[in-house]
Amino acid sequence: MLQKLARIGAAALAVAVAGAPALAQQKGGAINVATIGEPNTLDPMVAAGDLLGMITQHFYETLYTFDRNWALTPLLAETLPQISDGGKVYTIPLRQGVTFHNGKAMTAQDVVASLKRWTELASRGKLVADNIAAIEATDEKTVKITLKAPFAPLTALLAFNNSAAVIMPADKMENPIKEVIGTGPYQLKERKPDQYIQLTRFDGYKQRQGEPDGFGGARKQYLDEIRFVPVPDANTRVEGALAGQFDFADLIPVEAYDRLKGQAKTEPVLMQGFGWPMFIMNNKQGMMTSKDMRKAVQTALNAEDMLAAAFGKPEFYKLDGAMYPEGYAWRSDAGIKAYNQGDADKAKALAKTAKYDGAPIRILTSRQYEFHYKMAQVAAEYLKAAGVKVDLQVVDWATLVQRRAEPALWDIFITHSPFLAEPALIAPLPDSYPGWWASEAKNKLLSALNAESDEKKRVAIFADLQKLIFDEAPFYKVGDFAALSAKAPRLAGYTASPWPYFWNASLKP
Amino acid sequence: MTRYVMQRILGMLAVMFTVVTIVFIIVRVAPGDPAAVMLGPDATAADIAGLRSRLGLDQSLSTQYVLFLGQMLRGDLGQSIFLNMPVLSALAERAEPTFFLTLFSILIASAIALPVGILSAYRRGSLFDQLATTFAMFAASIPSFWLGLILIQVFAVRYGWMPASGYGGPDASFLERLRHLVLPALALGIVSSALITRFTRASMLDVLNDDYVRTARSKGMGEWGVVMKHAFKNALIPVLTVVGLTAALLISGAVVTETVFSLPGIGNLVVSAVLRRDYPVIQGALLVIAALYVLINFLIDMLYLAIDPRVRY
Repeated sequence: MLQKLARIGAAALAVAVAGAPALAQQKGGAINVATIGEPNTLDPMVAAGDLLGMITQHFYETLYTFDRNWALTPLLAETLPQISDGGKVYTIPLRQGVTFHNGKAMTAQDVVASLKRWTELASRGKLVADNIAAIEATDEKTVKITLKAPFAPLTALLAFNNSAAVIMPADKMENPIKEVIGTGPYQLKERKPDQYIQLTRFDGYKQRQGEPDGFGGARKQYLDEIRFVPVPDANTRVEGALAGQFDFADLIPVEAYDRLKGQAKTEPVLMQGFGWPMFIMNNKQGMMTSKDMRKAVQTALNAEDMLAAAFGKPEFYKLDGAMYPEGYAWRSDAGIKAYNQGDADKAKALAKTAKYDGAPIRILTSRQYEFHYKMAQVAAEYLKAAGVKVDLQVVDWATLVQRRAEPALWDIFITHSPFLAEPALIAPLPDSYPGWWASEAKNKLLSALNAESDEKKRVAIFADLQKLIFDEAPFYKVGDFAALSAKAPRLAGYTASPWPYFWNASLKP
Repeated sequence: MTRYVMQRILGMLAVMFTVVTIVFIIVRVAPGDPAAVMLGPDATAADIAGLRSRLGLDQSLSTQYVLFLGQMLRGDLGQSIFLNMPVLSALAERAEPTFFLTLFSILIASAIALPVGILSAYRRGSLFDQLATTFAMFAASIPSFWLGLILIQVFAVRYGWMPASGYGGPDASFLERLRHLVLPALALGIVSSALITRFTRASMLDVLNDDYVRTARSKGMGEWGVVMKHAFKNALIPVLTVVGLTAALLISGAVVTETVFSLPGIGNLVVSAVLRRDYPVIQGALLVIAALYVLINFLIDMLYLAIDPRVRY
């Protein structure tokens, strides 16, 4: 039903777009894309990370992907999977005539071998590995995944572009990978670490019929070449965009927005609803194991001030406590009253109920993401106003990732996430995620969400889960934030995305 | 002489051993787990433990140290955890931009500092001298990254004469790559020229008052000959030391400038390696930098012999 609705929306949008005067896009040219750094591998199975997904999605493809409304859509699969046996059997018809960059045809055996590799190596694959009874090719055109128990997020897991179930040739699956051979519209020509990753058009690419639709639909190959250039310093990305050196510069500090406006060689691109910052509370050890203490923090915080300090102008953030922004099927207002209270007196009372002993709360944050740090500073003031002492521990990101694994070392840490199309995959939901929210009620709802294949019922279950998040306060979603990038006016056909992609993009003559 | 050289070489080896040990300890004492950084925020504890084991990070520090020393003695700097390539290859790839950046910076610094320093000393107290001293103060006070940003603003963004960053794309010619070094070399060269200017001026002032300069003048020698042949040649030793040390500092200290200009040099590699907790690269790069530093110092000492016949070891 929801997918149907999404498709109606997509169709309406397509009509609207079609109504605009059509500008013919031309083939040819190379673009330079400034990225935030260098990925540690070009194998999107073995690591997660938005940067890795952004680059590798141009040469590796998955069976499924997401359309412009974040609904599942086939990519290397011919159609959406046929789900049978009470949600335990997924039958996936494969698109025919697809070839790898080495000229060999993609077979059902390649798909089976790739999916098995994914369950062994990818963190997302491991989520489902224990639940898989068999992955097999029923014939040359079909692959069947049999589960031990129903697991509805499987299709979404198969569609992500990082920690991704990409399809590789069965004989090119070493780990670490030796040759980068996928089925995507672009192929790897050369990688010089910390200098560039050079992709060229894959002439043997077989694109889907129809029109582009988000990550799905037809993938047009206008550009001859795409070069990803790692530019870790954000200011350098800004200056490079202003100088016209980069046709696209990813993730630029919002402070640069005004400088990018009205320029000849670049223009700002705002991606609304890019992600959500969160304060993860330590549910395993220390004073935050007390629900009342977590509620005290939730009650004390003023999300509006935190967002304003972190992102500046209102166009860069949205005050919203719901787990999904408007436009997503998962959107719900359940439990939202607990959000953005900033009520020091009530928080003080809750801290008293929790028998708060006056010891400082250790907030672990990093200036690698400046907005984390700014939010932490504002949060510290609100907590102090509620009589809660704060020990702000500012470390580099690598240290934070290490320390957060040790429950004895922190009470709250700050991180952020994109909005994932599948709610069961929200990072802090599993018991094992640092924060260790191992509530019985949560696990019951999460199991129901995973087992249910009817989307309408899943939306209702997720609304209950969101309410529980507000009730138990295992973490605090601060709001939504937009991402700022810069693009050259000569770059046409680019659609803002959390994982920017440049098939369908072209250079204006 | 031979004995002196042998002593120096032994001293250099002792310094290198100390550096090896300190670097090994520092990178491991610093918090932050390379396995966790590499696998990303979604990695499970089991994934991280598995990778730690594959990388040998789960062994005791003493075992790691012995293995590390063995590697060093074989001339093997190890394998980069992040780049999945030998550290030596990673360093070799990045040597070119750093080498030319250092060379250009030193040339620019010397081209500014030597004439200004000499003339400033020769016309001591003049308006030129005052302006030169002010320039030296100014150049010494500004951070190279700030100057770099200003140069990018003016020459790359406003006029579009120079590239803003990087080291050229896949099809860039050698000359095109060198063009990418002009702005960073200017930023580093101008800042480095301050110290060399001051040293040149001070050193020239010392020798210009010496008896042999007065003698040369009284013999009727032209001013150019007096200043350049007699005074400057004798003033050169301390200046050369500073130029050498500046070169060594630039190789290791161009870190910030390389980052601002996104140059894929050794300094940039060190910064990235620290953020990625890529132990072998941090160790390898620091060792190579230390070795270069020690070697440049040694070469400068040897150069004294060639320049000043009074120096004998």
